[in-house]
Amino acid sequence: MSRFFTTGSDSESESSLSGEELVTKPVGGNYGKQPLLLSEDEEDTKRVVRSAKDKRFEELTNLIRTIRNAMKIRDVTKCLEEFELLGKAYGKAKSIVDKEGVPRFYIRILADLEDYLNELWEDKEGKKKMNKNNAKALSTLRQKIRKYNRDFESHITNYKQNPEQSADEDAEKNEEDSEGSSDEDEDDDGVTAAAFLKKKSEVPSGESRKFLKKEDEDEDSEDSEDSEAWDTSSTSSDSDSEEEEGKQTVLASRFLKKAPTTEEDKKAAEKKREDKAKKKHDRKSRRPDEEEEDNEGGEWERVRGGVPLVKEKPKMFAKGTEITHAVVIKKLNEILQARGKKGTDRAAQIELLQLLVQIASENNLGEGVIVKIKFNIIASLYDYNPNLATYMKPEMWQKCLDCINELMDILFANPNIFVGENILEESENLHNADQPLRVRGCILTLVERMDEEFTKIMQNTDPHSQEYVEHLKDEAQVCAIIERVQRYLEEKGTTEEICRVYLRRILHTYYKFDYKAHQRQLTPPEGSSKSEQDQAENEGEDSAVLMERLCKYIYAKDRTDRIRTCAILCHIYHHALHSRWYQARDLMLMSHLQDNIQHADPPVQILYNRTMVQLGICAFRQGLTKDAHNALLDIQSSGRAKELLGQGLLLRSLQERNQEQEKVERRRQVPFHLHINLELLECVYLVSAMLLEIPYMAAHESDARRRMISKQFHHQLRVGERQPLLGPPESMREHVVAASKAMKMGDWKTCHSFIINEKMNGKVWDLFPEADKVRTMLVRKIQEESLRTYLFTYSSVYDSISMETLSDMFELDLPTVHSIISKMIINEELMASLDQPTQTVVMHRTEPTAQQNLALQLAEKLGSLVENNERVFDHKQGTYGGYFRDQKDGYRKNEGYMRRGGYRQQQSQTAY
Amino acid sequence: MASRKEGTGSSAASSSSTTGAAGKGKGKGGSGDSAVKQVQIDGLVVLKIIKHYQEEGQGTEVVQGVLLGLVVEDRLEITNCFPFPQHTEDDADFDEVQYQMEMMRSLRHVNIDHLHVGWYQSTYYGSFVTRALLDSQFSYQHAIEESVVLIYDPIKTAQGSLSLKAYRLTPKLMEVCKEKDFSPEALKKGNITFEHMFEEVPIVIKNSHLINVLMWELEKKSAVADKHELLSLASSNHLGKTLQLLMDRVDEMSQDIVKYNTYMRNTSKQQQQKHQYQQRRQQENMQRQSRGEPPLPEEDLSKLFKPHQPPARMDSLLIAGQINTYCQNIKEFTAQNLGKLFMAQALQEYNN
Repeated sequence: MSRFFTTGSDSESESSLSGEELVTKPVGGNYGKQPLLLSEDEEDTKRVVRSAKDKRFEELTNLIRTIRNAMKIRDVTKCLEEFELLGKAYGKAKSIVDKEGVPRFYIRILADLEDYLNELWEDKEGKKKMNKNNAKALSTLRQKIRKYNRDFESHITNYKQNPEQSADEDAEKNEEDSEGSSDEDEDDDGVTAAAFLKKKSEVPSGESRKFLKKEDEDEDSEDSEDSEAWDTSSTSSDSDSEEEEGKQTVLASRFLKKAPTTEEDKKAAEKKREDKAKKKHDRKSRRPDEEEEDNEGGEWERVRGGVPLVKEKPKMFAKGTEITHAVVIKKLNEILQARGKKGTDRAAQIELLQLLVQIASENNLGEGVIVKIKFNIIASLYDYNPNLATYMKPEMWQKCLDCINELMDILFANPNIFVGENILEESENLHNADQPLRVRGCILTLVERMDEEFTKIMQNTDPHSQEYVEHLKDEAQVCAIIERVQRYLEEKGTTEEICRVYLRRILHTYYKFDYKAHQRQLTPPEGSSKSEQDQAENEGEDSAVLMERLCKYIYAKDRTDRIRTCAILCHIYHHALHSRWYQARDLMLMSHLQDNIQHADPPVQILYNRTMVQLGICAFRQGLTKDAHNALLDIQSSGRAKELLGQGLLLRSLQERNQEQEKVERRRQVPFHLHINLELLECVYLVSAMLLEIPYMAAHESDARRRMISKQFHHQLRVGERQPLLGPPESMREHVVAASKAMKMGDWKTCHSFIINEKMNGKVWDLFPEADKVRTMLVRKIQEESLRTYLFTYSSVYDSISMETLSDMFELDLPTVHSIISKMIINEELMASLDQPTQTVVMHRTEPTAQQNLALQLAEKLGSLVENNERVFDHKQGTYGGYFRDQKDGYRKNEGYMRRGGYRQQQSQTAY
Repeated sequence: MASRKEGTGSSAASSSSTTGAAGKGKGKGGSGDSAVKQVQIDGLVVLKIIKHYQEEGQGTEVVQGVLLGLVVEDRLEITNCFPFPQHTEDDADFDEVQYQMEMMRSLRHVNIDHLHVGWYQSTYYGSFVTRALLDSQFSYQHAIEESVVLIYDPIKTAQGSLSLKAYRLTPKLMEVCKEKDFSPEALKKGNITFEHMFEEVPIVIKNSHLINVLMWELEKKSAVADKHELLSLASSNHLGKTLQLLMDRVDEMSQDIVKYNTYMRNTSKQQQQKHQYQQRRQQENMQRQSRGEPPLPEEDLSKLFKPHQPPARMDSLLIAGQINTYCQNIKEFTAQNLGKLFMAQALQEYNN
């Protein structure tokens, strides 16, 4: 209260101003307003979406409040700080201010502050009492505000001339807000005001009083009833004293609002009261209702309005505002602005958007708007997970799929909607029905993202659970969507987009074995050429034809290398999967991918590895063991097949990589349903290696320079040899090792029984689509290679051998035996000749015996030893002769070198 | 001992031939001024060694043991022996020296000769010329001058003729080993070649008269068929293995030579550089002199050109020695086999 007393010495003009202060201050005093605002604050934090204007203004009001508080406790330093902050906040809000005009409360605080400072400045005594900091702050603040207010001069003068208007607003608001500001409060205020006025009125002249009165009159004359009421109420006390009159003035002006006599006012008051009551009710009901679903909450809040949580919504629906495009779009933008911000409740945002769609469709705002909002819903669904690694929840995912489907429905139903990411926000046409609708957004990107999400879901689901199966069922839906998008884009999209969507399609097709087409191939066409034609027509559904079409398009039109590479690889994979070995191989060779795949990014490399593996398996099915071996060699020899195929992380390298890398690698993993069976892969590799290596080993038993064809196979053999006790084979590897041993002895039957039996069937062979065909092929291969091995190993025992015996032994027909032996003879692998009349193979004893072989090797080694030794000798001569007999020695040296060179050449010739 | 009658018979029978062969070799091996001219082994020791191998040795694994005996003038008499226990990885704290001392003390209590006169070792296809053997024999001979190493070849023995050989390091090699300098120069100075590394000491197997009498008796009783191993015509396996081993050594030798060659080349290159540097320095100094400036200070050439580490030649010597042994083995073996083959041919013709 001391302030009011000090104001007593103020000049007239100031006193009038302090009167205004009086009007505003006590009402906005710390009784009711403060806690109330705080509670409002609390609710503010719950607010989902706020318009920029609200936010900025709230910031400002908060600052203003603190300034006022500081003023009250005469903390000028604080005032200064806050004022600076206020200036900044105002700067931020500049854009809004430009639009909306300078907010009144801002002007008011500026004016008030200046006055307050001036007041303090004048108060010499008070200043003396002030501590140093405060005094300093006072002077700076005073200067600052003077400077600052210059910009707002017009506003301030305007305000000063008509302070009540703003004050009323304020008061009204405060009254509304403060339930606590009951009549008693009001009376208190009135009393204080009266007290103050009394004090003041002792000093000032009538002028000021008049002014005051006039002012009130001015204000009140707006509604004549008001002034009348004032007149009537004050008549009794009018004559009493000036003080009383002054008091009445204020009291009346306040009172009028409290207890209006006119109907209008009554109504207004009633309304206010109603509002108050409602608010009270709201606040009470709010707490228990908090758990209530947003939807519902939104529903009833919309009617009432004013509760911050859904402040936006009421704006778009409240008081029956006409829902137009502009309003909806504006709202949409408002919602979107909160996107990606911290503390934004993403779930609620999605809800809001969905609500918006509903409203838009209810109000028939046209498809353009709906499409636009749908785009945004899907986008925010994708946004829902802040983390790249986490995957969508099933319900979200379902929602996403539905939404995309709906979007596609709309797009198909309305061919006049143009969608594209290159359409600018400004050039969007959402409602003008005359022109084609244009909406910004890219359906392809959404679908691609959806596909990625699907992959992510699959990656993160336990592949052996029922859940995985459930998720996998969505794959059909994903495919369907992609197909729809494809159809859509084929009509409207650019080639680039078509390529992208084709690739998506391909990626969902290439790894699936087309059983239908396979079945069709198996059932032979019914003779006539017509049925063949039918079949050709039917082929339209075949994935092969589909792949062909899609890939060819990409080959022709794609300009980014990556899509083409992926398409080629998928194409090869598909060919290989369907046993079209030659097409697959040719495509692989023509693409030259083997040369430059190491420059590709890891996912493409994984795809490449998968393709190579599939190619190898395909070759194996065709009985091309060598090709199979070569194709699989790279993957298998590293022993990291799992990692290379993206089917799992190796534990070994776990410590080598850090968390981040691991995450990245995890993201690269291929979903389980795309996996290639690793055991099958290894088995195919080992069996091919066996078929190649065992005859080779037999042929080069004593050759010192013999190389291993497959290191891994040898490793397995060694492991098998190291076993102290050999039981019947259990694992696939043990089977192959046991088979290899049998084959070494030329015992094809045992070998056969080891390779093809129940266990191996279950583990490996049954996994092939044409298992029986593969098995017959395999048996034949084993027979042939066993025959070769047998001849290599035991030819030294025979003088001659009848081909019929061989044919009986290996259950091969005679021509086959004949051809195999002829081939061996031609390749000089077998030193023998065929005796046609007797059908026998006559061995020529040209092969050296083991000892002879050893001796030969020894001789060779000794040769090189001597050679090396001579070199040492040469050197000795060179060093000795270096000083004395340069000429001669140089000559000798040269000779020596030449000689050696010649020898070396010879050597190298023999080596090759 | 009675339980091993057959073994006794065969070893006793072959003892004479071994003695004979050793006697021939004596002229060469014993030519040095070494302390021991002859090794006399008790039949008991031979049997014990054979028994040890048969019980514990197999394949490429070797068995080792300590020889005990005494020196009489220039003759080393080996009267007893005991094996080193086969030790596994789990008892790492096993103290070999402790064990030997304990063993000898115990033997002394039962009045057996306890002078440590050497050690024995089995061999696999005659591959015994190794660094390990050299080192341990050196340490033996360094401590007890008369020590020998007995090499027992079980494979040859299985073929019908007892193969037991006593070796000592030559005094020359001892000197080199003492200095631990295996550089080419040192070896050249020591005049050591692979032939002069080990000297073979002739062996005489001696039994007491009583045992001799028993032998005679047993020989009369034993059938001729017991000795048929000697007549086995199979050769390829043994020959093949030996050839294989020989080849391995030759490979090693080759590598060693290449290494040496590189060293030589490097040295000569360095020498040239050094020479050039010296010449240049000289010329510069001359010029400076003519200009009246003080000559450049002499720098330490060895610092500038660090001499290369010459490769140790001991390994190559050992390899050469090993190759030599192999060759001798093969020669011996083939000679015998040829003889057998001729005999078989003659028999066949006679039968026909």
